[in-house]
Amino acid sequence: MKIIVAIKQVPVRDSTLRIDSSGKWIDEDDLSYEINEPDAYALEEALQLKEKHGGEVIAVLAGPERGSQTIREALAKGADRAIHIECDDLAALDTLGIAGRLAAAIKDEKADLILTGLQSDDLGLGQTGVVLAELLGIPHATIIMQVEADGSGSSIKVKRELEDGWFQHVTMPLPALLTIQSGISKLRYATLMGIKKSKTKEVRKLSASDLPQSAAATVTLERVYLPEKKKETQLIEGSPTEAANKLVEKLKFEVRVI
Amino acid sequence: MNFAVLSHMLALRLRYAEPPTFSVFEMVLLAVLIVAALIGFFARFDRVLRNIFTARKDSDFHIAPLGKRIWDFFWEVLCQAKVIKERPLPGLAHAFVFWGFLAFALVSTNHFASGFRLGFLDSDGWVGGFYFWFAAVFALLVAVGIAGLFIRRFFVRPIWLGRKVSIESGIIAFLIFALMVTYLGGFFVSPSSAAARGLWWSHALCILVFLPLIPHTKHLHLVLSPFTIFLSRGEFSHIPPLSGDEDFGLVAGKDVTQLVALQAYSCVECGRCSEHCPATNTGKVLNPKEIILGVRAYLNDLGPHSEEPLLGKYNSQEAAFQCTTCGACEYQCPVGIEHLPIIIGLRRGAVNTGAWEDDYGTKLFLALERNGNALGMSATERDKFIKKQELPIFDGSQEYCLWLGCMGAYDPQGREIIASFAKVMNYLGTSFGVLKKEKCTGDPVRRLGNDLVFQQLAEQNLEIMKQQKVTRIVTICPHCVRTIAKDWKEYGASPEIEHHSEFMARYQDKLPKSDGPEIVYHDPCYLGRYRGTYDQPREVLGRYGKVIDPPRARERSFCCGAGGGLAFLGEEGGNERVSHARAKELTATGASIVGAACPFCNTMFRDALAATSEAPPQLLDIAQITAQAITAQSRATSTPNGAQNP
Repeated sequence: MKIIVAIKQVPVRDSTLRIDSSGKWIDEDDLSYEINEPDAYALEEALQLKEKHGGEVIAVLAGPERGSQTIREALAKGADRAIHIECDDLAALDTLGIAGRLAAAIKDEKADLILTGLQSDDLGLGQTGVVLAELLGIPHATIIMQVEADGSGSSIKVKRELEDGWFQHVTMPLPALLTIQSGISKLRYATLMGIKKSKTKEVRKLSASDLPQSAAATVTLERVYLPEKKKETQLIEGSPTEAANKLVEKLKFEVRVI
Repeated sequence: MNFAVLSHMLALRLRYAEPPTFSVFEMVLLAVLIVAALIGFFARFDRVLRNIFTARKDSDFHIAPLGKRIWDFFWEVLCQAKVIKERPLPGLAHAFVFWGFLAFALVSTNHFASGFRLGFLDSDGWVGGFYFWFAAVFALLVAVGIAGLFIRRFFVRPIWLGRKVSIESGIIAFLIFALMVTYLGGFFVSPSSAAARGLWWSHALCILVFLPLIPHTKHLHLVLSPFTIFLSRGEFSHIPPLSGDEDFGLVAGKDVTQLVALQAYSCVECGRCSEHCPATNTGKVLNPKEIILGVRAYLNDLGPHSEEPLLGKYNSQEAAFQCTTCGACEYQCPVGIEHLPIIIGLRRGAVNTGAWEDDYGTKLFLALERNGNALGMSATERDKFIKKQELPIFDGSQEYCLWLGCMGAYDPQGREIIASFAKVMNYLGTSFGVLKKEKCTGDPVRRLGNDLVFQQLAEQNLEIMKQQKVTRIVTICPHCVRTIAKDWKEYGASPEIEHHSEFMARYQDKLPKSDGPEIVYHDPCYLGRYRGTYDQPREVLGRYGKVIDPPRARERSFCCGAGGGLAFLGEEGGNERVSHARAKELTATGASIVGAACPFCNTMFRDALAATSEAPPQLLDIAQITAQAITAQSRATSTPNGAQNP
């Protein structure tokens, strides 16, 4: 089975974020980056499928030069080769623009299965995978918990997570695209042997100009800002019972924490 | 009759008797027997030598410093210092057997020479007369010694010698005993008697039967261990650098180096390592002796070029990952086996190739990859702590960089220790600052054998050190001290570092002094055995109370169970937790305070003391005890002022 995993590099979780001078993106100078967490699970799923059924895992990443670190890690964990679409303008693209680049870079691979994380930890749009499937003209399924391949190479069975503890089991034809839910399996750790092997693995570098130009972004980012903190104190009047009832109501319907 | 006359008469009468001459038949027979014994010896020894010599070379081995090697050889081999020190009675018995063997070298050479009518020691002569008597004294000591060791092995039967009684050891003990008896018997017969000839031949036969028994039994140590001790790695728990792109640690036979092979064949199976191993003592699978014997069995069966994994049939992966790297085994070993490079080498082989699968371990590795600290917390938590404690930021102008470590930066108790130590430094007027960014030193991954993450952490930290121009570090964590001082060296020059106990001991005269309760001090493995710091923490504690030692203290201290990355691998198996075993021992001393000097020991004992005792002693780091004394002193001096202003 030939599997492509689309991965993204995002700032390390819990980083202290600052807004850059343009006000349209974050200041990247002092940040460390890592693989987007749901993508790490997509990669793990791909590696496990390969271990079970054989085949090849190809990682694809769109992003600046620093992305090569994340690609290296994916190769170290077991991906066979990688495609790096080098571009510095991710923040200026909309989902269609990014999916367009990914589609152009991988369409000739004719993969059986394409996996992505269900969303990114930075923008969290959750659409790239879906749009990519549309551009490639293949079926997709989202929020995947489990993938079973029967070995025929023509179809797979997947388990989707729905609301409220419900699941949906779907049998779908290949090739297909799946967006993978975070936390569905145990991730493996990168090893020294993996890193050493990764040095001899192929990383094909493409620049945005090598790929067909997509239409101008229809969605643009106007402004990025940190959530404003405000402190509001409300005094709840009444007898203890009344006050407690009011408090419960507010916590339930206004603040929505219980 | 005075003593001098008596001894003179005895010397005249009792003279070592050898047959005056040997027939041609006897000489031919002797020659045939010697050749047979030598063939028997070399047929087996040859394979051992080949397994050692054809094994992979130790790329980082240097014969320098020669002085230390010669001293170790003199002290540990010739003087038998370690053998005696760690087990005085059997040690002394062994030392007499050893010294007796040395004394007998000349006697035995002469013995066989005289069988070919070439004897050079004449019992009537001045030199020979003296030497035969000199050897006789040793013969007596050897006979008593070996009889004692025989009784110990076969009747007292300490469990550390193994559950299975070694029949070969009995045969060898008998041969050595017979060797001495047949020698001493020579003093009571006349040279021309048949008895003298009989004794002579029995003595010769004992040696010739002994020879082929050496290479395949633990008695090989008498040939190899002098070399093993001389050719040590040079320092405690020295982890060799990986060499080349194909080296991932001890994966298979092909990775076994000459030193590892030499050490595996040197094991005398005395079980001192097992006796002091915290894992073995609490019923875990790990027994350091079995690890070494496992490597030996592997080499015997498959040799040093095999691709068959070392962990599997011959050694258990579970055992290798139960080691706390406390180093009690390596410290104890009388034949120079360095267990830690071997156990950590096996772990490296498993982790660097991804063969080790463990949920806790993976979580730790990922936490260190992502967050740069072993507790998997966000670095902003560290920033908040620094801000809250108002710790100054290191800017190059201060005397010391205070290294927080993961425990000091993220663990609630570790933070208290840092706060206390900062107070002590302020009290002493020493300028210090903490780094804005600091990552785990890599200690847990270094000991668990993850060279990839270790290298990343060491390099990142060394870069920070360089940028911030750090030259002197002080820290509360012995693990950080060890890793920065020794392990980082592989990746660059690291700054000078000391443990806070060493710092406080240096300034002890400026610290308050008070009479306090009994404090039982627990020697952390990484401060004691790894660094040799035993007295400084005791000196500091001695200012505030009476320092007492638990039964196992100093070089023999018993681990808290946290080392070797095990603090992060969840609750161990076996029949007891290591920390509980130690906590009971500390409580039993009756001291009201447990003095700790390592944040890992501290966190292990916090739970263990509470779990094993209803009224446990108070657990405090030496810095906390010192800080409390400073507070008490300032309160005492401020009280009169307070009284003046009601």
